[in-house]
Amino acid sequence: MLRNFIAVLLLLWAFPAQAAAPEDVLDGWYRLTLNLVRHTATYSPPVASRAFAYVGITAYEATASGNDHLRSLVGQLNELKSLPKREQGKTYDEAVVLNAAMDAVMSDFFSNTGPTGQHALAGQARMQKVEVSKGVAADVVARSDAYGRKLEKAILAWSKIDGGAHITNLGFPLKYELSKLPGHWVPTSSYQIQQFPLLPEWGKNRTFAMPIGATCGLPGPVPFSEDMNSDFIKQAEEVHDIRNGDTGEEKIIARFWSDDPGLSWTPAGHWIGFLLDIAKRDHLTVAKTSATLARLGVAVADGFIGCWHEKRVYDSIRPVTVIKKYIDPKWETLLITPPFPEYPSGHSTQSAAAAVALTAALGDNFAFDDATHERDGLGVRHFKSFWDAANEAGVSRIYGGIHFRKAIADGLEQGRCIGAYAAKLEMEK
Amino acid sequence: MKRALWLSALLCGSICAAPALADPVIPQFKNETATAGLHSIYKGEWQYMVGGGVAALDCDGTGNPALFIAGGENKAKLFLNHSQTGGALKFAEAKTSGLEFDKVTGAYPIDIDGDGNMDLVVLRVGENKIMRGDGHCHFTEMNKQWNVDGGDAWNTAFSATWEKGNSLPTLAFGTYIDSKFENDPWGHCTDNWLLRPAADQKSFGPRIALTPSYCTLSMLFTDWNRSGTPSLRVSNDREYYMGGQEQMWKILPGEAPKLYTEAEGWKFVRLWGMGIASADINDSGYPSYFLSSMADQRMQLLADGAAKPSYKEAQFAMGTTAHRPYTGGDERPSTGWHTQFEDVNNDGRYDLFIAKGNVDRMPDFAMKDPNNLLLQKDDGNFEEVGDKAGILSFKNHRGALLVDLNHDGKLDLIVVNRRENVEIWQNVSTNLGHFVEIKLKQDGPNLNAIGAWIEVKEDGGHIMRRENFIGGGHASGAAGFLHFGLGSQSASQIRVQWPGADWTEWQDVKADGFYLIEKGKAAKTWQVGD
Repeated sequence: MLRNFIAVLLLLWAFPAQAAAPEDVLDGWYRLTLNLVRHTATYSPPVASRAFAYVGITAYEATASGNDHLRSLVGQLNELKSLPKREQGKTYDEAVVLNAAMDAVMSDFFSNTGPTGQHALAGQARMQKVEVSKGVAADVVARSDAYGRKLEKAILAWSKIDGGAHITNLGFPLKYELSKLPGHWVPTSSYQIQQFPLLPEWGKNRTFAMPIGATCGLPGPVPFSEDMNSDFIKQAEEVHDIRNGDTGEEKIIARFWSDDPGLSWTPAGHWIGFLLDIAKRDHLTVAKTSATLARLGVAVADGFIGCWHEKRVYDSIRPVTVIKKYIDPKWETLLITPPFPEYPSGHSTQSAAAAVALTAALGDNFAFDDATHERDGLGVRHFKSFWDAANEAGVSRIYGGIHFRKAIADGLEQGRCIGAYAAKLEMEK
Repeated sequence: MKRALWLSALLCGSICAAPALADPVIPQFKNETATAGLHSIYKGEWQYMVGGGVAALDCDGTGNPALFIAGGENKAKLFLNHSQTGGALKFAEAKTSGLEFDKVTGAYPIDIDGDGNMDLVVLRVGENKIMRGDGHCHFTEMNKQWNVDGGDAWNTAFSATWEKGNSLPTLAFGTYIDSKFENDPWGHCTDNWLLRPAADQKSFGPRIALTPSYCTLSMLFTDWNRSGTPSLRVSNDREYYMGGQEQMWKILPGEAPKLYTEAEGWKFVRLWGMGIASADINDSGYPSYFLSSMADQRMQLLADGAAKPSYKEAQFAMGTTAHRPYTGGDERPSTGWHTQFEDVNNDGRYDLFIAKGNVDRMPDFAMKDPNNLLLQKDDGNFEEVGDKAGILSFKNHRGALLVDLNHDGKLDLIVVNRRENVEIWQNVSTNLGHFVEIKLKQDGPNLNAIGAWIEVKEDGGHIMRRENFIGGGHASGAAGFLHFGLGSQSASQIRVQWPGADWTEWQDVKADGFYLIEKGKAAKTWQVGD
């Protein structure tokens, strides 16, 4: 009996319980974030992008608060004036701080997820807490946990006044006056709930790094015309012809970047997803990964605010409406036409903003494999650079039949402009 | 008549004066939950967020539908029907029926062995039970004798058909999430499966997996193109699948099941599929399908004829989106479960019932989510009358049935509720149209003629037709008389297309009667006690 006891003690001495590394904590919570974005009904693409920004900022600040080589985003992001600091001279455990902050931010941002999401959140919190606490002194665990949660509460308070915190009716207004002017958006969905545009006020939200939603304004879509020889009708004919003559590859590309809400991680989550894979592949440190996730989150969130601002300004008609009326009444899109105005293309804007942010963080010509939709049966695609991916995301919307070319080109330009603000954030010293 | 009205509306557009259409008669239901003798609560947490079905079956040959009600973590219960004709609904629990299982999610009646006694397929979280009825409301498990592997999945859907030449039916079971992945359930749907008769035609062969499967909540063998060979329609919950969609399997005798593809016309549709209702609601000669879901519910009409399984969505035009509560002040989107087409006001048109209820404390969806009762109008569109008809309830509803429980020709309503007692309403209307109710019988193993079609002539030459099927709804099914409203007609004509056969000649029937139609014989009136 005594011999067995001594043997156990020796084993514990030789192989002490190994606490989870902060990198694993970050990856574990982010994988759950992606799942909850997909499975929480209010998480349309703009709403998801906002969550990715706040979750990223929370992860980064939790990490930066204990790392002299990282600079806080306080004073760099709009209206983020201060955050709690750690007690000087006291010991903190980085994994516990990060885990507590992530647990708290996930619980707050996904408080409205369904029973299965709540089940998964609780399970993840239980499991991670055990993992990060292994071998860490109890007082350090308590102090670190409390700090992580306090930090998150400060970020949460900052988030509440940005204009995007409260989503009702899945983001669709209960009342809205549709324009009757020609060339303006008309509903394309046969769902009652989608007869008004998704989140028409989103462009007024407080931005993160760029000054305001209108900062990267655009010239507008091709002017509406019923003249069959006009540029307007010609661009519709282009969408019609591409869709009708689509090759297998074009269909694959369209579906690969479809990123529909409720059925995927959304466009912003698509970029977050492959960044997580890159972090794992390249063994990036938690400092590098959290900084890049925060920068990417800010870029895509600002991208959606800027894009939605322009959508409200131009309120433009979708290709399917034009093509059915003037070219081919039986024409159908490959992808589901999103229930909001056409110009500019949201995926183009946010993908370009993401490409700028990731290029700034990881470099140009950074090749990677994108396995985001592998489990959905859409395979893995290889990209030579982040811009390679952004350009393909853009053109996929013509292949899907849901955007005109100008909305894509201008969207990419808008994203380039917006992403520059995220790229300029000073994070890694 | 109805088709003519639609045509005139189409031709006129907005420039013609609309013809005066009579408002449908609103049936009146009386809540008899407190006095009917039913007490059953569908209880349980995560694994019972779906299911909660009810089966109506004549288990003793009296013609009175007994009710078998799923209890989740509670024991399921069988309630015998002691209601008098046209009287208040009265039930008494049969405590030793052999059906007192826990973990039950739903059930469907079916006479598997063709002995004239109704059997019951009991769906469970765990092993399904195939229960053989003895004609006296006692049941014996037949899994072993009939070589049915009940499995250990989270079972949520069922349908059955008799494939040509077989003595036993082909059974389809729908399953949901793999319970092993409770903390990460997404993308972990277990296989649905098919059981076909073994070569000896006395038991069932090995399971045939219907791969891929996408977390199914309703399935229905239905002859969508009237080819004489039903296909298996499957409605799936997009919440949990990855790469999934709605499905329809070709089930051809002697061949492996095969999915209809986009190339064949099947459209890529994804929804929170909860239940399937089916009837020919637009005089097309083909079944239409209503798919319950979250937010907008879906109404699917055959788009390009029998050659292609393509459906156009018509819920918006027909007024059946039922996307948020129609009353009660909660404006958040709805969650639909059991759904069923029946004629609740006996006017010769199909009406639509949808059970509603929050999955479980989902704050973005309505918590006060009343069931819908949508009456079909002369112009083919639907109008909500749930509150006016007296069935308003804000409990958390799941499975349900519209069924005539007291042989008065008026459809009554039972609804199973999560964490609360079942509710039951008697249809006490006094101003409804006439009706006929029909029970089919044929020789051979498929005694109840599953797969047959029945047509009834209605006012103005309109035909009301339905397919005699097992499956669909949400974990709920009925076996017994098929109900048809007749409007103002005091008599009508009916005909039957028996499985694998041509239409019979039209037969005269008087209104307000129950008829037993045996293949090759004249319709025979039936009365309680026959």
